[in-house]
Amino acid sequence: MSNLGHEIMIPSNNKRGKHRSQENGDRLSDLPDCVLLHILSYLNSIQAVQTCILSTRWKHLWKHIPTVKLHYLRNSPTVKRFDIFLSNMLALRDNSIALQALNLGRGLIEPQLLEKILNCVYSHNTHIHRLEISAISQSYPILSCVSSCKALTSLKLSLYNIGSRNYTETLFPTSLNLPLLTSLYLENFTFCGDEKGCAEPFSLFTKLNSLIIRHSKIKKAHILNISNETLVDLAMHYNSFNFAEIQLSTPSLCRFTFPDSLDQKICGTGLSCVKQVNINAPQNSYSMKHPFVLLGWLQDLANVESLKVTSITLQILSLVPNLLDVKLASLCNLKSLDIELRPLHGEFLLLLMKDDMLKKAIAKSHEEVAKLRKAFKAGLKLHPIPDGIVDFLRQNSPLAEVNITTKYKDCFNLKQVEEYVNGAKNTSYPQQFVVPASTASPSAALPSLHLCHAKKDTKRSGKIMSRNMI
Amino acid sequence: MAEEVSSQMNSLSISETNPSSSATISLVSGDDIVFKVEPTIAKEMETVQSFIDETDGKITTIPLPNISSHDLPYVIEYCEKSIAGKITKEFEAEFVKKLNNEEVKELFLAANYLNIKKLLDFLSQVIADRIANKSVEYVRRYFGIENDFTPEEEAKLREELAWTFTGVDPDDEDEN
Repeated sequence: MSNLGHEIMIPSNNKRGKHRSQENGDRLSDLPDCVLLHILSYLNSIQAVQTCILSTRWKHLWKHIPTVKLHYLRNSPTVKRFDIFLSNMLALRDNSIALQALNLGRGLIEPQLLEKILNCVYSHNTHIHRLEISAISQSYPILSCVSSCKALTSLKLSLYNIGSRNYTETLFPTSLNLPLLTSLYLENFTFCGDEKGCAEPFSLFTKLNSLIIRHSKIKKAHILNISNETLVDLAMHYNSFNFAEIQLSTPSLCRFTFPDSLDQKICGTGLSCVKQVNINAPQNSYSMKHPFVLLGWLQDLANVESLKVTSITLQILSLVPNLLDVKLASLCNLKSLDIELRPLHGEFLLLLMKDDMLKKAIAKSHEEVAKLRKAFKAGLKLHPIPDGIVDFLRQNSPLAEVNITTKYKDCFNLKQVEEYVNGAKNTSYPQQFVVPASTASPSAALPSLHLCHAKKDTKRSGKIMSRNMI
Repeated sequence: MAEEVSSQMNSLSISETNPSSSATISLVSGDDIVFKVEPTIAKEMETVQSFIDETDGKITTIPLPNISSHDLPYVIEYCEKSIAGKITKEFEAEFVKKLNNEEVKELFLAANYLNIKKLLDFLSQVIADRIANKSVEYVRRYFGIENDFTPEEEAKLREELAWTFTGVDPDDEDEN
């Protein structure tokens, strides 16, 4: 069998043989046009057009690029130039070449230019499959154009609508029907409720896989119903849903990033099947019920395998009275717990944390209180991961791996945090809580803890995660 | 005849994690080094897989004269990650950090030759990033392009397409 190797050669479309190390550098230009166009489609269109100057072969190549990719220009005097560029490019581009993707960066777009862009999209609306528009412009012509692009698989819209005088909201069209759409990103939209006060904007997308909603609002609705059979990924950031309730009817939901607001009510069946969860609680807008909101969320996560939280989230959670005595019926399949350390700045939250520590010290002894007061005066920093909380979260899956990371390397000593969480007793300030003896068996109580930038630890455990910091 | 690769090279195959009985595929690099890979890896390489299919799986030694033993491990590593569903932004950033311009080009050509769509898309983006905001001369060198315009022709073209050469600096701030 092995000698067949020399008889059968996969035909090479490249004339040159193996010893090409001496002749490096001239091979990319040997590639056929379609491959070069593939590379060009990843370039900003301005530079892609400029490749016309490279050689006679490249003179007209840019006209055949299947994508248009233009981003905002920082220096405002060039906005006019940007318009001129775009008009010229659209006029000279070979319109017989299917436009597959349009990626338009944020910036003010004049109505006339917008019309030209949209006409170009209209003329390709049967095959354009990726559309990304971030613009300050009139939203409704854009939306009406988008709704004509039935082949879209990926849509990203961030629209600042210009009304007759100033910016106005953009209502998300309830009739938008894009049957092939798998990925949807919406920014600056308003979802409007029906006569019953319920907004249900996504049920028409029968193939939707991933949904991200940012900086959006709800109007005339007390319920935002995210109802979708196929949705796997859901994230919501910086929305102001005015205390409306989010109802998840998403049987396929696997990854969920909780809203940044702890005032957001979430209910529905969607949470029970989620496997991966991110919780990033804010530290500035604190209310007394927030710790309970967090606890409520955790209790809903029946099947989560990967839980990612910030240290702030854990600090807020720790303010639930007698938290460590709470028996969770959820978090039974937890495989990994990722904690991202973030510095605590919120003054009020800081005060509450200290107050809570003092209360617990009072329950113990006067010496403890005095010791703690002294420590606070001396500028004691709160530990980013409250005592016992790691084991609290792992009470039903004590073998879950714990990973601690931080983007704030100047603020935290990961090694120390690890030792502290591991139960090292050489801490300079008193323990906050007594860990209930029942939480885990002694062997399981030792967390298999991994620090992500301590690479030398890799030898310690076969299970180590070499996950990079995000 | 080709020599077998060292154990270090072999560790690139996924045989450790999947000791299945199915025959491994031998990929022979241009400089006659054999890389044994699991059939699932070969599946990622359309060129290789279609070749295996054509011979009903009887042939498991595939010569790849255009790909050097320096580049092939990178290709295999990427395919393994891809199969495991572990292509993340972090992995790609680390992956590309290791590569100089020449290696990126070599890998791009390898991915094109082997027809590995994901790797090709990823490397297209890498190349685009590396030539972004670079001078015409730089891009010519990068692609290995000989300028066959006369100075007059070039000047004329610049004038005709002045709308692309003046006042509009590419800004890739939002690229990702």
